[in-house]
Amino acid sequence: MLLAELTYRCPLHCPYCSNPVAYPGGAELSTAEWRRVFEEASRLGVLQAGFSGGEPLQRADLPELAAAARAAGLYTNLITSAMGLTRKRAEELREAGLDNVQISFQSDEEALANEIAGTAAHQTKLRAARMVRELGFPLTVNVVLHRGNISRIAQIISLAESLEAERLELANAQYYGWAFRNRAALLPTRPQIAQAALVVSEQRKRLLGKMKILFVTPDYYSDRPKPCMNGWGARFLTVNPVGEVLPCPTASSIKDLRFDNVRERPLAWIWNESESFNRFRGTEWMPLPCSDCPQREIDFGGCRCQAALIAGDATVTDPACSLSPYREKLTVFVESIQSVGENGPSFDADEGGIAFRQNPVD
Amino acid sequence: MTPMNAESRPALARGVRLWIDPITGGPVLLFPEGVLPLDDTTHDVISRCSGAATLEAIVDSLAEEYEADRATLQNDVCECLMQLREEMLVTLSP
Repeated sequence: MLLAELTYRCPLHCPYCSNPVAYPGGAELSTAEWRRVFEEASRLGVLQAGFSGGEPLQRADLPELAAAARAAGLYTNLITSAMGLTRKRAEELREAGLDNVQISFQSDEEALANEIAGTAAHQTKLRAARMVRELGFPLTVNVVLHRGNISRIAQIISLAESLEAERLELANAQYYGWAFRNRAALLPTRPQIAQAALVVSEQRKRLLGKMKILFVTPDYYSDRPKPCMNGWGARFLTVNPVGEVLPCPTASSIKDLRFDNVRERPLAWIWNESESFNRFRGTEWMPLPCSDCPQREIDFGGCRCQAALIAGDATVTDPACSLSPYREKLTVFVESIQSVGENGPSFDADEGGIAFRQNPVD
Repeated sequence: MTPMNAESRPALARGVRLWIDPITGGPVLLFPEGVLPLDDTTHDVISRCSGAATLEAIVDSLAEEYEADRATLQNDVCECLMQLREEMLVTLSP
């Protein structure tokens, strides 16, 4: 799976954005450079390309890129806010052979959704979602969950159902980058998670065969770490807007890792030989308690970025694991959240507390 | 989920592609953010899900090819298609 981050630019300012907090320098890859990336990825065995960002529609050459990825034999998915998805552009993308459209919503409720996005986006998204269905695209709806919208999960599921989405991704924010900065405002309470899980379980039964619901709870509430990327350098690579190749989309948060660039090296070399892809590949790198843990080939020691963020050391067991000596740090934080109750954070920037994502400065 | 009957006409769901993995040479289903490698039997079932062929015709065709007991085969095919429908990989044509 190749995640092609085409640009960091985006009209939205979501406080859990997956963009890095500190943008790397350099110009965006050209159309020709991306074409080469897709061809090289396909030769490496990649079958899937996700166009992401930022907002991939900010790239005027997106239909060309979709056609290039399809020509290379990749399944293509547009991961978009839908801002800028006019009928004309959607028709061009259909013509280019784009396989699936995934549209993010911030909530089912317009006022809250616009507050989270930091701009009036909700109505545009609704229109775009209906339009892509008219054009015959399959639709995935994606909603990042957090304390401010998770209590509306039933209504969010109804929204996706009314849009006739085949798939609905309800993933809690993952606390890296912007979301880590804002995690005190974003992490849901324990009762909120339990209630949401109950709703999802009921609605999954009702919607079986009609809409597939993916639900991801925050690993802060888990005893075992998530099998991040299904293992470092195992199945997944990200190429960022300036051409750096990362084993996971947030790997740039690991300070002592250096990432090779598709402008300087073939993708196959980066995947097979580079220091960054080999650093945590397999199980050799693992410290105790991972190295003799029966789960080591199941969760791969969890997430390196989380180890770096919480423990200050990317080479230790993911602090989400109850066996990690750093678990206490997460537990203290999780408990500090419980007393805030179920009130969502204020997304009003003037009231402070929340940092909205900013665009790179040109 | 709507139950299937002999007249149901299963088809690949929108956005799902039957594909040959160029590295392994084996058939896979490609769908949003997913790849499902297919064993021979599942591949034989899916390649018959054209949206035009009825379940009955699919089972007939497989029974002939496998020289297998039709009733057992029908159960297996239904079970296989039910799982694929739950994953939104197969739908029933109207």
